Amino acid sequence: MRGPQLSLNQTQKLRLEAALEKLESFSSKANSVTVADTIPVNYEDGVLKGHGTSEIDGSVVATVCGVVERVNKLVYVRALRARYKPEIGDIIVGRVNEVAPKRWRLEINFSQDAVLMLSSMNLPDGIQRRRTAVDELNMRCIFEEGDVICAEVRGFQHDGSLHLQARSQKYGKLERGQMLTVPPYLVKRRKQHFHHLDQYGIDLILGCNGFIWVGEHVNTKDPTEEEQASKSEQEQVATKLNRNAASLEEQERTYTPLETRQNICRMANAARVLSTLGFSITVELLIEIVNLSISLKSDIREMLGSEFCVLVAEVEAERRSAKIKKK
Amino acid sequence: MLQSKSFVRKTKQGKVVKVVREHYLRDDIYCGASICQVCDSTGARLSPDASTILILDTNVVLNQIDLLENPAINEVVILSVVLEEVKNKNLSVYNRLRGLCGNALRKFFVFSNEYHKDTYIKAMVGESPNDRNDRAIRVAAQWYQKHLGSATRVLLITNDRENKRKATEEGIIAETVESYVKSLGQPDLLDLLVQPAAGDVSMEDAEDMRPSKKKVIYSEHKPMSEITSGLHRGIYHQGKLRVNRYNPFEAYVGSESIGDEIIIYGRSNMNRVFDGDIVAVELLPRDQWHEEKSLSIVDDDEDEDDNVHLAPSSADDAPRTTNIVQASSADSTSAPSRPTGRVVGIIKRNWHSYCGSLEPMPMPAGNGGIAHALFVSKDRRVPKIRIQTRQLGNLLDKRIIVAVDSWDCLSRYPSGHYVRTIGQIGDRDTESEVVLIENDIDSRPFSSQVLGCLPPIPWSVSTDDLANPNRQDLRHIRVFSVDPPGCRDIDDALHCTLLPSGNFEVGVHIADVTNFVHPGTPLDDEATQRGTSVYLVERRIDMLPKPLTEDICSLRADVERLAFSVIWEMTPEAEIISTRYTKSVIKSCAALSYVEAQARMDDSRFNDPLTTDLRNMNTLAKIMRQRRIEKGALTLASAEVKFQIDTETHDPLDIGMYQIREANQMVEEFMLAANISVAEKILKQFPVCSLLRRHPSPTREMLEPLLRTAAAVGLSLDVSSSKALADSLDHAVGDDPYFNKLIRILATRCMTQAVYFCSGDLSPPEYHHYGLAAPLYTHFTSPIRRYADVVVHRLLAAALGLCKLPTIFQDRPQLTNIADNLNYRHRNAQMASRASVELHTLIYFRNRPVDTEARIVKIRSNGFIVFVPKFGIEGPVYLTARSEKGSGEWTVDEQQQKVKKADGSVSYSVLQTVHVHLEVVEPQPNRPKLQLTLI
Amino acid sequence: MEYVSPEGLRLDGRRPMEMRQIRAEVGAVSKADGSAVFEMGNTKVIAAVYGPREVQNRSQQLNDQALVRCEYTMSNFSTGDRMRRPKGDRRSTEISLVIRQTMEACILTHLMPRSQIDIFVQVLQADGGTRSACINAATLALADAGIPMSDLVTSCSAGYLNSTPLLDLNYVEDSAGGPDVTVGILPKLDKVTLLQMDAKLPIDTFENVMQLATEGCKAIANYIREVLQENTKQLESRRGT
Repeated sequence: MRGPQLSLNQTQKLRLEAALEKLESFSSKANSVTVADTIPVNYEDGVLKGHGTSEIDGSVVATVCGVVERVNKLVYVRALRARYKPEIGDIIVGRVNEVAPKRWRLEINFSQDAVLMLSSMNLPDGIQRRRTAVDELNMRCIFEEGDVICAEVRGFQHDGSLHLQARSQKYGKLERGQMLTVPPYLVKRRKQHFHHLDQYGIDLILGCNGFIWVGEHVNTKDPTEEEQASKSEQEQVATKLNRNAASLEEQERTYTPLETRQNICRMANAARVLSTLGFSITVELLIEIVNLSISLKSDIREMLGSEFCVLVAEVEAERRSAKIKKK
Repeated sequence: MLQSKSFVRKTKQGKVVKVVREHYLRDDIYCGASICQVCDSTGARLSPDASTILILDTNVVLNQIDLLENPAINEVVILSVVLEEVKNKNLSVYNRLRGLCGNALRKFFVFSNEYHKDTYIKAMVGESPNDRNDRAIRVAAQWYQKHLGSATRVLLITNDRENKRKATEEGIIAETVESYVKSLGQPDLLDLLVQPAAGDVSMEDAEDMRPSKKKVIYSEHKPMSEITSGLHRGIYHQGKLRVNRYNPFEAYVGSESIGDEIIIYGRSNMNRVFDGDIVAVELLPRDQWHEEKSLSIVDDDEDEDDNVHLAPSSADDAPRTTNIVQASSADSTSAPSRPTGRVVGIIKRNWHSYCGSLEPMPMPAGNGGIAHALFVSKDRRVPKIRIQTRQLGNLLDKRIIVAVDSWDCLSRYPSGHYVRTIGQIGDRDTESEVVLIENDIDSRPFSSQVLGCLPPIPWSVSTDDLANPNRQDLRHIRVFSVDPPGCRDIDDALHCTLLPSGNFEVGVHIADVTNFVHPGTPLDDEATQRGTSVYLVERRIDMLPKPLTEDICSLRADVERLAFSVIWEMTPEAEIISTRYTKSVIKSCAALSYVEAQARMDDSRFNDPLTTDLRNMNTLAKIMRQRRIEKGALTLASAEVKFQIDTETHDPLDIGMYQIREANQMVEEFMLAANISVAEKILKQFPVCSLLRRHPSPTREMLEPLLRTAAAVGLSLDVSSSKALADSLDHAVGDDPYFNKLIRILATRCMTQAVYFCSGDLSPPEYHHYGLAAPLYTHFTSPIRRYADVVVHRLLAAALGLCKLPTIFQDRPQLTNIADNLNYRHRNAQMASRASVELHTLIYFRNRPVDTEARIVKIRSNGFIVFVPKFGIEGPVYLTARSEKGSGEWTVDEQQQKVKKADGSVSYSVLQTVHVHLEVVEPQPNRPKLQLTLI
Repeated sequence: MEYVSPEGLRLDGRRPMEMRQIRAEVGAVSKADGSAVFEMGNTKVIAAVYGPREVQNRSQQLNDQALVRCEYTMSNFSTGDRMRRPKGDRRSTEISLVIRQTMEACILTHLMPRSQIDIFVQVLQADGGTRSACINAATLALADAGIPMSDLVTSCSAGYLNSTPLLDLNYVEDSAGGPDVTVGILPKLDKVTLLQMDAKLPIDTFENVMQLATEGCKAIANYIREVLQENTKQLESRRGT
């Protein structure tokens, strides 16, 4: 079975197993199916076959492993471990793969690269106007290959390609932080995907595509500054040299305090722990885990260790059982 | 059900590789005791009232297999670990053991202890494989005891002292074989025991009682490692050793490394080998390459009797000495002598059990005790074997079977043990039995499973057979058969009708055996094994059960029978216009004997349609025969004899040459034609899996003796091709009428035998049949008595699309195996027939000393070998008494093949007619033999 | 050589109709979209699936369906004697192709146009039946990657030695040189997607052997289904609501 790939000692193993078992007992007898399982449906009401289903010999059959969902007449299988399935309006985090004529191509964990047209985003000067050839030439000034970007799913073009847009101040390049990837099924679509966590001075973006951004809080009021990204200890952030040589002064201005950097790492590790355990990732849960780690005075590094992982599993089991009891 | 345990094993194959194999342990392996409550007893073999169950050690099985085969030993559990060890050590013992386990009458059960979850053991650190296996045996024994409870005694039989001690410590009852057999209270079983080698539980050695004789007689065999490296470096040569049938102190090793046969002379050079052993040979220095010995008939004091025997019918039967030497006596320097060597080690023994009798000896004083005796095998290639017996008085005048156990370099003879008694020496039944055993012929009655495959009796052609669209109804045709008188298994019949066009329709109808013998049935398996029917003088051992042989398949007169027919349309000039093959229903109108058929053809008063058919056929056959001879077919002659047997006593009444009539030749001609037609058809359809018969061309060396003999009488033979040989044989007419036949007999003797083979194994030019001068040949016409014909029937049926080709034909190695087995069986059957004739000749002459005419066929230094045409026998005539050999009174002229008296007064040359006296003498009690003396 | 004893046991203690012990585990490669380890006795195979993702080589892009690629490799340490194995030799190219074609038959490629699915299979231990094990591992990995498939392909081999049909040959039996039939089926649709044999076998025997292999496939399918079901349940329950 799929399990967190951790080296556990004997007691940890037992504790983890107990916690996971407890979690299992809470789950409603979900309608999970595997490939080629027949899904029982009431044909009299008429059936709309949705994603993850097909019809073989008159019966509805699952084509992926997942959970059967029914909405009125619609029957579909919600696949768990799969690549991201975009929906219009989803807020996503992506990374620029390629700068093409009038567009950027972004890796967003979809079956193909997403397209962000030059025309679908606000220019740095904030003026609405036609894009000129000069703008096109200067596209790299806006985003370069390797930049992490936040955007919104605009929709599918008729040729089947996925288009994004970034027509708001809150979208655009993300800097001074780290991006991590989690399986997309762990991120639920919610009203709010941007979170400003004041207490830590960080921004958290839970992209629907399973890309999560944790970075230093930036004021959206002046988003046009071009700065040199601070080098975090993580591998994620690409360095980019400004055209002008960075002066000491500027470095001073873009300096991220140590505490914020630690908070970023703590938050990122919290997300990683949840991802390894396969728990769904929400702001509340993340904050809870960060607080837990702070209260335990555990090192940031230790958050990825087996002991903390087991602890999180136990806490989560407790939390869920409490929630059920409340009901 | 699957419980898995992997174990790691290291094997060494040049480099060390780690082998990991899975080993599944199971809980569904049952104990095989029918009383067991826990186990599934459907496969149980041990009887419910067994009070003692034996578990055997590997060495016990390896050494005492003869004892195990005795029905007195029962309720035995064979552990798979033992089976495996036996298999690795000695395959023939393994096969015998498997036979025992498969025999429903014996209570032997195989327990797969290695796969049973409770009896599988892992080798402990530092434990040798042998110790581990011994422990596995003990663990299994213990398991059995626990499993079956105290009601049954589980007895571990082991001769290994250490193992026995450990077993006793672990609470297992253990005994040695000797003590167990003694406890059975059957003294004759003790004779079956193999004498333990010195290392085992000690018993007094025979040699110890005669310490004075204890000296090294043979050189020690080289250890295996040395042999391997020697072979590698080319010092030694490996090959299968064959002992000369006529001189047990001369052997040949066919060596691939030097591409020639190595000759080994003398007892010490042969160094304890047996015929068929695979040996390592070291070549002797060149100056020792030649020895005079082979020229004389007998030369060793050991070797007293060179028996009178039947004249050999082909090169395979003939003595091998003839072609080795010729020039040396005159000028020994230039002799292109053949390599001579000595045996340094034995790679694989070919020991089995041998048939023979004990050398006569006075009864020991203390009667009933253990006596040592020397056993003399019937097969002269086998040395005398020393055995121990407690029933000497009983065995002295018996034919017995003895198995060889060991032969160490201190003893002159190998030691062995008694296996069983066949019967009284000289008794016809006993001697016939010996003939059968010696030739590995299974004469047991057919088992019930085999008989179960037979159609119900009385059988007749059913309506289904007639309705079968593949089966043509030929009942309206005048079919008849011609066979030897008294033939019950008629497998061929003929017809010949004149067509309106003036052509003839000639049909050969062969019994449709495959309609009754289906592939994969026990009946078919049995027939595959037997391979052929065996014709002895007084009885016949059938390949197929009697109802099939004599009734259902036999194409008897006036009954409807199923047949497989080959039908030709022929012009009056015997040209084949078309050939047709079909399954058919026939009704023979007459079953003639050769004599009857001949009489009808010869007697002009007969003018009935049947006789007309016969005459037409004879005319066609003569043309065909002529054409065949023109193509180069050889007309060879054999010295076949015919006995007249007393119907009451089965003793031979008269003996004479077999007479060949035109009618025989007529039938033979059509059978040949049918066989050739069928061979063409099946080979066309199945180029790689047909069963054909070939006759290799004889090499010049093989024809050498013939040429030498011919040259001595001033005759030159052209042997460049079969055609040339046939022509020159035709021209070899001497002054007396028998001369030509004699030459032909000698020619036949030089040929090898024709053999069956699978067409995929050889290339088309090798398919040639030399004797018949046919590019293709097979056997189709006698399916009742030859299995090859059954195979060919199936092939032909498949070629015609009448049935599917049995799966066995897709497996070429298996087909090759079948062909090899057929050749082996065929040859054995012939040997047995000859041996049977020899036996009856002896019986015939027992009270009838005769003077007769004989021809000299071979010259020897102290006499010559004569051939007696009237009785078809051959034997030595001594000019000097045996005691005074080498007196130099007679000299041999190799060039002219003459033996002359020193003073030149008398000389004998090859092919000369001499008069001899035939008499049965008994130089030793119970050892009658035929003696030829010159008158 | 005797591959089935008269007692009806094979060299490793199985009966002719028995498979080796099978074990499957999904999620063995954390970076991959889907992955699995599949074991049949001592044969052990790991498979990783990446995609559907952007086509790497644009010229290969298909506008109506996904591009499926497969790479089969055998580890140097997979057999008893360690040896360097050149990449892209005949055998591995052939097996790659076989796996690709077999998997393509069940993946609903038309649902993922302009994308690419990469399947990497590597033999960690070889003890006969690697071909079947690879296909089973690839099926599991694909299912784990959430790639829509019409059915699970499962594969099993069977041979014919000593006139007995044998299920799931191990290395020793495989090297006996007898016929070795590898069958791949879609158990739900009851269709054959793979059938390989490189020896001659009479048709009626062949039918028996193939029947046996098909039974084996079905048994494997049941097991794989169980593994996936269990895995899905766990994922769902852990994820929580």
